[in-house]
Amino acid sequence: MVIMAADRQAVSLGLGPGMKLADARARVPDLLAFDHDPRADAHLLARLAEACERYTPMVAVEPPDALILDITGAVHFHASEDALAQDAEDRLDAAGYGAGWALAGTADAALALARHGLKEGAEAQLPVAALAMDDKTHQSLERAGLYRIGDLAERPRANLAARFGAELTLRLDRILGLEDRPIDPLRRVGNIVTERRFAEPLTHVDAALECLSELFAEAAERLNQRGQGARMVRMLLFRCDGDIARLGLETGAPTRDAALFQRLLRERIDALNDPLNPGFGYDLIRLSIVATEPLAPQQLRLAGGEDRQEDEVALVSQLSTRLGRERVQKFAPADSHIPEQGLLALPALSAPAPVAWQMQPPGDPPLRPLHMFDPPQRVQVIAEVPDGPPHRFTWRRKAHQVIRYEGPERIASEWWQRKDGQQPGNGGLTRDYYRVEDARGRRYWLFRHGLYGEEKANPDWYVHGLFA
Amino acid sequence: MNNNDFDSGEPLPLNPAAVPRTVSQKAAALKARLAKILAASGTGTAQPDDRPSHFTLGIDRIDTALRGNAGVNGLPRSALHELHAQSKDHRTSAAAMALLLAQRCRALQADRKPILWISESGEARRQGRLYPPGLAELGIDPSAILHVDAPDSIAALRAAADGVRSSAMSAVIVELAGKKPKGLDLTATRRLSLSAQKAGVLGLLLRCGSDADNPLPTAAFSRWQVAAAPSLALEANAPGHPAFDITLLRHRSGLYGLSARLEWNRDEQAFRELPSEQGTPHAGAVPALAGVRADHPGMRAA
Repeated sequence: MVIMAADRQAVSLGLGPGMKLADARARVPDLLAFDHDPRADAHLLARLAEACERYTPMVAVEPPDALILDITGAVHFHASEDALAQDAEDRLDAAGYGAGWALAGTADAALALARHGLKEGAEAQLPVAALAMDDKTHQSLERAGLYRIGDLAERPRANLAARFGAELTLRLDRILGLEDRPIDPLRRVGNIVTERRFAEPLTHVDAALECLSELFAEAAERLNQRGQGARMVRMLLFRCDGDIARLGLETGAPTRDAALFQRLLRERIDALNDPLNPGFGYDLIRLSIVATEPLAPQQLRLAGGEDRQEDEVALVSQLSTRLGRERVQKFAPADSHIPEQGLLALPALSAPAPVAWQMQPPGDPPLRPLHMFDPPQRVQVIAEVPDGPPHRFTWRRKAHQVIRYEGPERIASEWWQRKDGQQPGNGGLTRDYYRVEDARGRRYWLFRHGLYGEEKANPDWYVHGLFA
Repeated sequence: MNNNDFDSGEPLPLNPAAVPRTVSQKAAALKARLAKILAASGTGTAQPDDRPSHFTLGIDRIDTALRGNAGVNGLPRSALHELHAQSKDHRTSAAAMALLLAQRCRALQADRKPILWISESGEARRQGRLYPPGLAELGIDPSAILHVDAPDSIAALRAAADGVRSSAMSAVIVELAGKKPKGLDLTATRRLSLSAQKAGVLGLLLRCGSDADNPLPTAAFSRWQVAAAPSLALEANAPGHPAFDITLLRHRSGLYGLSARLEWNRDEQAFRELPSEQGTPHAGAVPALAGVRADHPGMRAA
């Protein structure tokens, strides 16, 4: 077993990553060793990355142990770039993490400098290992007398590329700041971001919510200029001890209505599993509009009166926010003749424009039930073989005498969906549906599952729905 | 009587010419009072539009009987009504009745607002869920239904309160199961009823598995019992159009004992009365004695 990581005390005793655990135990008998848990490390790193979003929205995780912050244009809240980095180090230190940092023009340069404990401008002094090629390349470079990046920088690129491959020159250029690579930030930045910083942290939830409403009003102003409305809003409340509360809102239609936002926000807060806990207070509150849609400025109706469309959207948004988007549904027809697959229940928030349902020809009684059981429920039926209608059936321990019936309506299975479905016996079971009415006037939709003798020796019966 | 209504606190006019002014004030105050009374009875609610204030079943006998002291045929559109399934077996019939009443009410509107249907998810899983093609078969456009799958009865009632308040819906139907659904009390139904009146929305409270001897007290305008009825057989003894047995259990005007067997005609979007098994249909509504509540157990037994 090998040491993967060591704390400060262990390093001061001369232990370090790469050392065999047995050797380390020989030197320090009362050593505390724990199993390496890469997933926990990754999780922690991701949490630190989130915490670093207070500096810039462009935070990328660089496994296994680094974070890249793109602070371009994000330093105006600090005296200088160094002050920003120092602030980050102080906060990490307060939370119990030691961190090394470096500033550089490109992400790779900063990464290499930080990993080797150097500061900006010292790229030439980096060892060749900073290129992060494989060990063999590093060794052959050193064998050629090239120990530092500075040694390589002077060499003609063509020769290096011929000897060690184009990868090496690319990495070299990145470290030297001649070439950049894009970083992959943790999350996409919203189109519009508004935020408030507080010298004195906010310790009341109400004040924080009030602040969010103000931020939304600001964002709405900017949305208005663009002719857009918000569909999705994301809010981050940074607590001064590093904890972050995140809230998301989705609306049924683009909106710039601050009153609606306030109402939805309150719903969202009520629906939280663990309520907002300001603790020592929030020192930064940020609101970003993540998804927008065109929304032309609207003219109020001259006569006044309510706007129905608006009202419906507000209601759908409110219910979806409180109950969850899956629980507020609109129905749409689906292209299947299997009864239970003939419909889609789509979230009303994202439902497409209503599609016309097939309405029935006049004169017919309802041929489809109002209530459906999915899956169908098993019933005991007395019926003539091979394909007679049901005479009596027992459902939920009650016997029903069939007075009237209509059927069968034969619905074949989707044999083309099955392997070798066109072969007899492979296509799945056919259903024979009957509309039946019992002596007390209740109407049921029963089906025989499988053709008697052909598909099944003794077909089962099911009740699939109830008619009005 | 509230004297403030017409006594504005001004010194009495000395000039006899001012006397008609007081008279007109008095008349205005009386009119305001009358409007208040009518509003409480569900008749003269201030409508945001010129839609009729009542909807009918389309059967003259019942619609006239439902006049009560409102003076308009049918049931008030901006009010809460209660439908009880006779027993658990009649849940589908009660649901259909609620949807059809909502549909009749919706047909009165030019802008055809949607219907909000709220059900408890557990009950829908056990007892069958709403099947949109079946709605289309009843003549109700399934895309006009906004379906809310509430986790429990409290959430369902809250969603209903929001729906009734928003005036974006033509009708709000909330389905609650059990003898004593959690959260269903006089306060909750009073809230629904007031909001429905204010926003001009039809509220329907659908109860399944309620205790017939002890239905919870509610602030609903009327309470009906719904059961499935044998249909008129079609050719070759096929089950016919949906048929219902409905009974009026209570009404704010004191009507009771009204019952009928109805058949729904999808093509005309109206009900039709079927002859009841007992022979002649029920004699009709009997107005209750003044001062006696219609839901008094002794009265309801009639």
